[in-house]
Amino acid sequence: MKPWKYIVAVWMTVVITAGFLIRIPEIPILEQSARNLFLHVPMWFTMMVAFIMAFYYSLRYLNDEHLDWDLKAETATAVGLLFGICGLLTGSLWAKFTWGTWWTFSEPRMNLSALAMLIFVAYFILRSAFNDREKRAKISAIYNIFGVTTIPFLLYIIPRQLPSLHPGADGNPAFSDMTAPELRLIFYPAVIGFIGLAIWMMDVVKRYKTVQLQLSGKQ
Amino acid sequence: MQETASSAVDTLTKSYSERWDGLEGIEQSSGFVQMMASNDLIFVVLGVSLIIWFVLLFYLIKVDRNVSKLEELIKNSSDEA
Repeated sequence: MKPWKYIVAVWMTVVITAGFLIRIPEIPILEQSARNLFLHVPMWFTMMVAFIMAFYYSLRYLNDEHLDWDLKAETATAVGLLFGICGLLTGSLWAKFTWGTWWTFSEPRMNLSALAMLIFVAYFILRSAFNDREKRAKISAIYNIFGVTTIPFLLYIIPRQLPSLHPGADGNPAFSDMTAPELRLIFYPAVIGFIGLAIWMMDVVKRYKTVQLQLSGKQ
Repeated sequence: MQETASSAVDTLTKSYSERWDGLEGIEQSSGFVQMMASNDLIFVVLGVSLIIWFVLLFYLIKVDRNVSKLEELIKNSSDEA
């Protein structure tokens, strides 16, 4: 195992522990659930990074049509989708105890992020429709470039223009005066840690798929 | 159904039975147990979270190593051929 993976493991352990142990200021409504900032928000940051990686790999595939790029794009999208689903589920649980409902259709960010996840579920359904590897790689690369392009609009631009309970609405940034400065001390390391963990997962999945292809090619 | 909160069966504020005393007698416990029981039991949540994290981490490391072994195997067999 490469050394950076041990660093990610220790880093995440420290972040999780510190996230529980630091004293946070009293915030009405949120109370101790403000600690969710260290977990829920990095899910979306990590998903975004994974999808940007997938976008880059898809472009590279269309550029030189090397199937290795397709493998990397598929892996990055799968890990990104996994983190996005975690973001949706944790957000729903958090909403229940701060907004009083598991799900509300009047909340644009919630619904648009669910829609964004569906776009990437469709990516895998599209992939499964082709038996020919080259054809599958090319069409899914094109679809993925389209799909990733919708994400900034669905997750950032549109929700910011609409009234919403979620932080980062009505033209405001997500981090405002409400966010206590000490929360950032854990938040940013948590983002870095989760991104490291996601890249580790991509590395393992990509290598697994490569081995699988090599073995099936020999039979 | 429940007119007031107190009309429901109260299983939380009183011990359910003599054999299930929760935090009673914590003063005689070891320092570690007393520490875990402090601060509204937040350390228990920390413990649970760390257990889950370490199990998932262990599994990720294990799969990583297994893939490495397979890669070695394929590399060796292709060298022989």
